[in-house]
Amino acid sequence: MASAFLSKSGIFSLHIARFLLIVAASGSIASAEETPHAPVSFVNDVMPVFTKAGCNMGVCHAKAGGGQNGFQLSLLGFEAADDYASLVKEGRGRRIVPVAPEQSLVLRKATGQTPHGGGARLSRDSEGYAILKNWIAQGAHFETKAEVEFVSLEVQPSRGITPRNSTQQLRAIATYSDGSTRDVTGMSLFETNSEAMAEVNGDGLVTVQDIPGKAAVMVRYQGKAAVFTAAIPLGVEVTDLPPSRNFVDDHVFANLKEIGIPPSPLCDDATFLRRVSLDIAGRLPTPDEAAAFLSSSDPNRREQLVDRLLKSPGYADFFANKWTSLLKNRRDDASDITSNFAFHAWIRDSLLANVPYDQIVRELLGATGTVVANPPVAWYKRVKEPKDQLEDVAQLFLGVRLQCAQCHHHPFERWSQDDYYSLSAFFSQVGRKPSGVQGEDLIFHKRGVATATNVRSGIALKPAAFGDDVGEILPDQDPRLRLADWMSSPENPFFAKALVNRYWKHFFNRGLIDPEDDIRDTNPPTNPELLAALEKHFIESGFDLKDLVRVMTTSAAYQLSAEPNEHNLVDLQNYSRYYPRRLQAEVLLDAIDDLSGVRTTFANLPPGTRAVGLPDNSYNRSSEFLRVFGRPDSTSVCECERVQSSSLAQSLHLINSSELKNKLTSSTGRAAKLLASDSALEDKVRELYLTAFSREPQSDELRFAVEYVNAPLEDAAGKPVPEAQAKRQNMQDLIWALINTKEFLFNH
Amino acid sequence: MTNFKSLLQITMIAAALCLNAAPAFSQAVCLPAPRLLTTTPMGGQVGSTVEVTITGDNLEDLDELRFSHPAITAVPKVDASGAPVANTFLVTIAADCPAGLHEARVMSRLGISSSRVFHVGQWPEVLRNKANTSVETAWALPLNTVCNATMTRQAVDHYAFQAKAGQRIVIDCAAKGIDSKLQAVLIVADAQGNDLMVERRGGVIDFTPEQDGTYMVKIHDLTFNGGPECFYRLCLQTAAPDERVPRLPSTESVSSFSWPPIGLPAEAALAEAAPDDPAGDPQQITLPCDLSGRFFPAADVDRFEFTASKGEVWWIEVASERLGRPTDPSIIVQRVQKTDDGETLTDVAELSDIPSPVKVSSNGYAYDGPPYNAGSADINGKLEIKEDGVYRVQLTDLFGGTRTDPGNVYRLIIRRAQPDFSIVSWALHMELRNGDRNALSKPIALRGGATMAFEVVVIRRDGFDGPIDLRMENLPEGVTATGLTIPAGKSRGIMLFTAAPEAPRGLTSAKLLGVATINGESVTREGRVASMAWPVPNAWSEIPAPRLLADIPVSVSGGELAPITLAPAEDKIYEAVAGQTLTIPLAHSRRSEFSGPKISLKTFGAGFEGTPAFDVPLDADASEATFDLAKLKVAPGEYTIAFYGSAVAKYRYHPESVTIAEAVLKTAQDKATAAAAEVTKLTESVGTAAPEDKAALEASLEMAKKQQQAADAEVAAADKNLKTVTAKAAPKDIVDIVVSSPIHIRVQPAAETVQK
Repeated sequence: MASAFLSKSGIFSLHIARFLLIVAASGSIASAEETPHAPVSFVNDVMPVFTKAGCNMGVCHAKAGGGQNGFQLSLLGFEAADDYASLVKEGRGRRIVPVAPEQSLVLRKATGQTPHGGGARLSRDSEGYAILKNWIAQGAHFETKAEVEFVSLEVQPSRGITPRNSTQQLRAIATYSDGSTRDVTGMSLFETNSEAMAEVNGDGLVTVQDIPGKAAVMVRYQGKAAVFTAAIPLGVEVTDLPPSRNFVDDHVFANLKEIGIPPSPLCDDATFLRRVSLDIAGRLPTPDEAAAFLSSSDPNRREQLVDRLLKSPGYADFFANKWTSLLKNRRDDASDITSNFAFHAWIRDSLLANVPYDQIVRELLGATGTVVANPPVAWYKRVKEPKDQLEDVAQLFLGVRLQCAQCHHHPFERWSQDDYYSLSAFFSQVGRKPSGVQGEDLIFHKRGVATATNVRSGIALKPAAFGDDVGEILPDQDPRLRLADWMSSPENPFFAKALVNRYWKHFFNRGLIDPEDDIRDTNPPTNPELLAALEKHFIESGFDLKDLVRVMTTSAAYQLSAEPNEHNLVDLQNYSRYYPRRLQAEVLLDAIDDLSGVRTTFANLPPGTRAVGLPDNSYNRSSEFLRVFGRPDSTSVCECERVQSSSLAQSLHLINSSELKNKLTSSTGRAAKLLASDSALEDKVRELYLTAFSREPQSDELRFAVEYVNAPLEDAAGKPVPEAQAKRQNMQDLIWALINTKEFLFNH
Repeated sequence: MTNFKSLLQITMIAAALCLNAAPAFSQAVCLPAPRLLTTTPMGGQVGSTVEVTITGDNLEDLDELRFSHPAITAVPKVDASGAPVANTFLVTIAADCPAGLHEARVMSRLGISSSRVFHVGQWPEVLRNKANTSVETAWALPLNTVCNATMTRQAVDHYAFQAKAGQRIVIDCAAKGIDSKLQAVLIVADAQGNDLMVERRGGVIDFTPEQDGTYMVKIHDLTFNGGPECFYRLCLQTAAPDERVPRLPSTESVSSFSWPPIGLPAEAALAEAAPDDPAGDPQQITLPCDLSGRFFPAADVDRFEFTASKGEVWWIEVASERLGRPTDPSIIVQRVQKTDDGETLTDVAELSDIPSPVKVSSNGYAYDGPPYNAGSADINGKLEIKEDGVYRVQLTDLFGGTRTDPGNVYRLIIRRAQPDFSIVSWALHMELRNGDRNALSKPIALRGGATMAFEVVVIRRDGFDGPIDLRMENLPEGVTATGLTIPAGKSRGIMLFTAAPEAPRGLTSAKLLGVATINGESVTREGRVASMAWPVPNAWSEIPAPRLLADIPVSVSGGELAPITLAPAEDKIYEAVAGQTLTIPLAHSRRSEFSGPKISLKTFGAGFEGTPAFDVPLDADASEATFDLAKLKVAPGEYTIAFYGSAVAKYRYHPESVTIAEAVLKTAQDKATAAAAEVTKLTESVGTAAPEDKAALEASLEMAKKQQQAADAEVAAADKNLKTVTAKAAPKDIVDIVVSSPIHIRVQPAAETVQK
């Protein structure tokens, strides 16, 4: 019989013959010691070993990464049948040797007995080794009798108050379809969301560091995940809280009290004026605004200032700048200019008119017609494929990164390929007709039943939003509008949350969930109650963006000083103080223009156009400043494309670039104008400080600045420089020095 | 009149220098055509006289500024001394002139120019004549006044106006709709220039201030483009709270030529019930029906239900895009069957878009079809009732998912078949150079001996499928028009305009007619002509702006002749026998040198269009065209054909101007010589004069010296002018379309050779 199989040439027949021999032999050879009574399940026992050992990671044997040496497993073990075939039926059958389990290639490689590129992943006395060996010895079956299904994963404890510099052991408990449970801690993977706050080892032992706040540890086992959230208190008694101005303060201060971090006091008027002007309108206050605000004694002046800023075109410009970059308003060809300007203007006008956020998103998703007649159509020019459309929409508007689920089950989330393709089905009826404009299509709803095919299963899926049934969509109904309906529904768990979290990060410099576009069960918010309250408020306000900004910026929490007190320097996520941030590229350029009195000019735009008002990324090519300071190129929906980190190039640019020098020495610049003015030098210095820092100079600053400007100069040969020239040079130097202060470069 | 005309011509020679300040030969493709590019202002108040300044290309020896409506007339403006002011006219708009858009053109040396629209309106007009690009320099604009202006590049124009709390002001700006290249952005701002409301999609701003004060209107181009081609008309109209304020008028889209069907009443008999309810119950109607409604609010679905019997055939036509709305109507017809638990709907027909009858350009760099879409996003389709029952028409706007605009109206007609047709025509274009689309905007300004071809395209209505003969009426003397019939079942014909070499200078307003037999009766329909608002030398960088023209002026220059005339050797009908070979001898009349030895010709005309391209020599006086009628399978009958191709002429622009300039120079030189001689003579006289005469002679000498200086300056100017016109008149390679005169052929049946 064996020879009959062998007579058929080919590896597969050889394998079957060998397998049959093994099966035939196993009954007689296997001893009781080698074959434990408990049957070993491939799905429930063997696959977790591979996952725990990291065999199915991208760079090792995951199919998605190519699979080293032809041994291909599904990424993180989501496809059991495929993995079984790979292990048992492929590789000429030599990966498994049931007659001598320890000689199986899979065990010899994993233990390093046979050279293995990935090194030794299992020791011979480990639990994983025993499971594999027993499974092979039992005949390497795919299913066992009375196989149970893994249903859920729980981590114990799921949350707790964990003192600084302490440890906490976690246990992972799996529940099966027959109600049984098993401690799978040893086979689970553990990952912290903040190494700085809490470390975790492979056995689930969490070591909390000395930074107070909230840390989370994700536990993964067999495609399911659970989260342990640790509240790490600082433990200082919090007695002196500013009066609460709204629900934001209630939640921020409650959290601070809970974990014992005393907040910094409220900032002064000058700081608030500068901070909120930069955060809402992306610009420095003018000296006149600063003088007026500082002299006001109106108890509501801060609220009135916020309202004024929200009404100003600066607000619309600044936030349009943010959104157009995320919506990929990118110029690849000179002819893109019309659609890019139109798209930017649409966002900007919508923000100016305070069109509700759900309406803006609806107009974008459901865009039809031509770009000029309906500018959101430009998004479909830029993002052409349904795959990209759904991924961008999910990440930008729902805070969910779905890219992974195109090819395999999302590793950290519940999203499957079916979820991916059923979301893509919403975009399956986007029709295109050629328009009169080069490179642009007319977009329309193409009648028909919307479906998208899961490339793996071949099944055509109807539109569904993350598993939510959106009802029957008739052939003549645009599925994109149904998606918009689903998004703006008050019950939607993603839409409002993603926006309030994104805006929270804008104003507080760290998302309640961070990164802001990676909302998942395994990345919990640092203050869930606050996030829920913001979400609720935003929905109840009718998705009113200006109102949301108002709520955040009029809160006392936003108005805390950036100066740390003796306790809260370590706080990086509880908002016990304002976290300073370097001005972003456009805002910094505008600020330098404001202070130097010389505006940067931009192609195709009227003189005086501010950098925050630039419609697309094309200006990065002509402006080295914008590039060096990290202005994004509109290629990604991720805010992370904007580079906020520091670099040597930035320092050199500020210290010694010809661009900055030209601004300082310009005959139409502020230095020249101040020198030509008859006013007292002290007043000129005051003007500079009000412009740069929105505050009056302190007396020693004033004295020093005046002395500096009046100081005589000598040239390289030691000869005295004429007084007028010396004054000019000193004034330019003074402005240069102000630009290069942290107080100027940061919003604080 | 003669005096006036010669005065005008002399002035216009000088004026041409100014008009051609732009590179005189910006077109290396297409022979120069007269083009009117701007008029300032772009309109006037009815019953007024307006001073209008023009600019354009290839305009000299202007006879007149003419308008498509006779109630608008123009005379050249003259200065205090009675001399005409260059490029300036006084335009009188009669009190009975209909309000709306009219076309302005000039008649020049080369004939009639391309057109610019001229808006006649009810409001007083002003011309903004100084920069207003900042809040500080804002131009004060009274309400209910039209302001004419051009946009400054990379700038924002500012207008200040006074308004009272609660006063409704509708702000409208005409730009694209009056041929401008401006994509206007309208902004209402406060007195400090802070934006309050913005409109960028070509709509109006309906503004009601909350308090009395000064407000601003800011205008700029979407991409901050500017210059003389970016002109606009701004109007701030006061209105009662519920008043419907009509928009400033716009030119018509090409697609609108097929609307309305002949005999359609101006107003629909029926209105949409509950127009603001997007998902109301179906409206019960009876057929036939003529109904008006609107796509409002967003994602509006309008349903109409009727009863019909098996065997009935209905035609459903919808107009909305052709009414100038940015919509894309779509209809689903469903059969409704009531069931116990509701109703069952079965799709019967899906109707969307009137397809273009000919392939439309794909907007690539190479030319692959006209960039005119004679089709429409509207609907005209057939509904055959297969079973007795109740039917539901569901009408939606495929562009309307998110847009809420009560102005997006439609007209829905369901009728029994009324076979008919509409025709539209445009100048033939072919690939001359990548990106070039110049021929598409040429006026019908014929050179003697030239033949110009226009494509004529038909939209057939309600199943009409017959042939359509094409004709022109009211052509200038010496001009003939030959229509190459649109064959049965086909969509395209050709109209050939041929000017005899000796045709005198002339201009008429012609009519394009299509004639067909429908239901046994001869039916004549007047056609429209489309053109591009601007020459398009590079389709890559220019967004084409096609539109319908209000009229069809045809001119002959009377001076300049075509570089070559290809014509049948004899003016006769060429006889042929089916299945045999036909040879047409061609006569070549060359008036220019050509680059290259030959021209490749293709054939127009039903029955003969399958003829392979063939070459004829450009340096010969005659050639032949041979047809294999057997291969072409030409049936017995009468045919009209023509040949067409492209050739590169060594064209000289206005060589007569060199002769004129030489004469002017000679006159100036003679004058200068005489002046110099006078100075010499007087200088000698002063030297020898008696003391008592000396002072007078010295005074004369001084005057003579001044005259000499003036004469020298005249020589310098004339010399410079001569150099300029000589350079322009130097031969230059220009590729253009060459079309032969029409050729008439009669094909006889082959003699029966088989004996029964």
